Amino acid sequence: MLQLDAITKHYPTRQGLVRAVEAVSLTVAPRSTLALVGESGCGKTTIAKMILRLETPTAGRILFEGQDIAAMDRIAVHRYRRAVMAVFQDPYASLNPRMRVGAIIAEPILAHENPGRAAVTRRIEEVLDIVGLPAGAARLYPHEFSGGQRQRIAIARALALQPRLMVLDEPVSALDVSIRAQVLNLLQDIQDEFGLTYLVIAHDLALVEHFSSDVAVIYLGRVAETGPTAEVFAQPRHPYTRALLAAVPQPDPDHILSEAAAAGEIASALNPPPGCRFHPRCPRAMDLCRTTVPVPSAPPHITACHAPHEGAPT
Amino acid sequence: MTLLTVENLQTHLHLQRGILRAVDGVSLHVDGGETLGLVGESGSGKTMTGLSLLRLLPEGSGRIAGGSIRLDGTELTELSETTLARDIRGSRIAMIMQDPMTSLNPVFSIGDQVGSPLRNHGIARGARLRSAVIDVLQRVRIPSPDQRLGDYPHQFSGGQRQRVVAAMAIGCTPRLLIADEPTTALDVTIQVQIIALLRRIQGETGAGIILITHDLGVAASLCHRIAVMYAGQIVETAPVRRLYRAPAHPYTRALLAAIPRLGDKRARLAAIPGQPPSLIDPPIGCRFAPRCAERMDKCAQAPPLTDLGDGHTASCWKLGTA
Repeated sequence: MLQLDAITKHYPTRQGLVRAVEAVSLTVAPRSTLALVGESGCGKTTIAKMILRLETPTAGRILFEGQDIAAMDRIAVHRYRRAVMAVFQDPYASLNPRMRVGAIIAEPILAHENPGRAAVTRRIEEVLDIVGLPAGAARLYPHEFSGGQRQRIAIARALALQPRLMVLDEPVSALDVSIRAQVLNLLQDIQDEFGLTYLVIAHDLALVEHFSSDVAVIYLGRVAETGPTAEVFAQPRHPYTRALLAAVPQPDPDHILSEAAAAGEIASALNPPPGCRFHPRCPRAMDLCRTTVPVPSAPPHITACHAPHEGAPT
Repeated sequence: MTLLTVENLQTHLHLQRGILRAVDGVSLHVDGGETLGLVGESGSGKTMTGLSLLRLLPEGSGRIAGGSIRLDGTELTELSETTLARDIRGSRIAMIMQDPMTSLNPVFSIGDQVGSPLRNHGIARGARLRSAVIDVLQRVRIPSPDQRLGDYPHQFSGGQRQRVVAAMAIGCTPRLLIADEPTTALDVTIQVQIIALLRRIQGETGAGIILITHDLGVAASLCHRIAVMYAGQIVETAPVRRLYRAPAHPYTRALLAAIPRLGDKRARLAAIPGQPPSLIDPPIGCRFAPRCAERMDKCAQAPPLTDLGDGHTASCWKLGTA
């Protein structure tokens, strides 16, 4: 469905070149959910922006259903923009407060086709029904809804043109705990019903384990580890994946958090460490890690590490 | 030894739309060396409870309308603003805020900002101030603090900024620390470092901590006891193991079922239907009843607080009063 082929994104700045994304290769199968995880500044949002054609890769290709999205002509770009939709983190910022909900949902439809007023109204009612809002919601303004309901409106807008791929950037992290489960369940139902493919950006690893079929752990612009979520979480090989999992607070007072697994903080993409970018924080780092970029192992469970772990974490 | 006792606290916000009862009858206590978690969703009143203790309510609209707050036997609600500012706020009770980007002033150096509470409360002055600031920064593990006094907030990483905010709070060795979502803005590998820091500060100073959080994982890792808030009220209080192993209130149980956890193989999360009520016109009776799967006719009246023994209390008709 979607294939990232060694995509790289560098930003020239006055302080030098920011190496935000470096040779990232990933594939997303139809009807699957790939989660991108990693700390702030690791490049996961930049990757999503390139997929949405909001940024152009410095190098590498993004293939959607076999077609290079950078080499598309105008008509193909138009078709691509219908097929790929996004839902952003903050439903307070992503909905125009001056527009009624009906107009918000109609906007992407009218940008692509003019099926007539009755058809648009019918489609608005359909997608509102899918996300569990009454048809009357179309006449109201965003401020008349709670955070969870606003995120439903954002999902309805994304669904209006029957997309095939949805990019979900932290779709529930601005919502309250009791509302998150409602929205996550809704997203799963929609995926099953319409056969959608999801690319989700999330920092909550328990949520990722629950919600995604595949996961890519990104560190400083590079893929540290990727594969089927169940396998990566059960037998994480990269020390960074292990560190992330060990640092997740569990709703269990007897669970012991490990502070030792990743000391210090993420380095700057302006001046990334040579060799493996994780080596300054890695408890297993050897001389080789300081000089040589690790080569990714074979799929499906891919690890870029000179000294990968084996088996389940203790 | 009981450090802080809050009884029947009522905090009102006077808005154009009416009086919002942000905190409606909250009672709690914190011992020295103990961490009490105040857990709840946005709008449940947990932050307003924390701000009420310091009388830092929104100017003009916020007001403590009733109840008692006693710190080491001193009734804080009866103190004048001047006395509270001089003797309590920042010295005996200090607060760590959620977002280190907004709780640090971008135009003052770190040395100035960490030094200012020390100077204001007469802990250190003049030449001794510098070494006192270095000492506090060392305690929160800022590397080579003597070289960083003149640096500004933007020159620190997110995790280091939160350490600086913690340094500002612990400089005067407060008896009570209020930490409002201290790790929410941070990545998990940094979050675990700040959790360890708070635990160490408590070990060194014996301070009581009130941890305000929406994250049941963070609360489990740091707290000795937990109070769960819903719609301006505490619905359940219990020692930490009791709360997670044997939650008594339907809201607590629903919250614990709604969150995904690592290693959890459920296909679907148990969502809580509906949303929290407005606190301008809250429902009569149990405030969780409209969303509660176990609601009964009786829930139209406010449930009494039931003592379940061993410091475990909850307000729900299901628990009976026998």
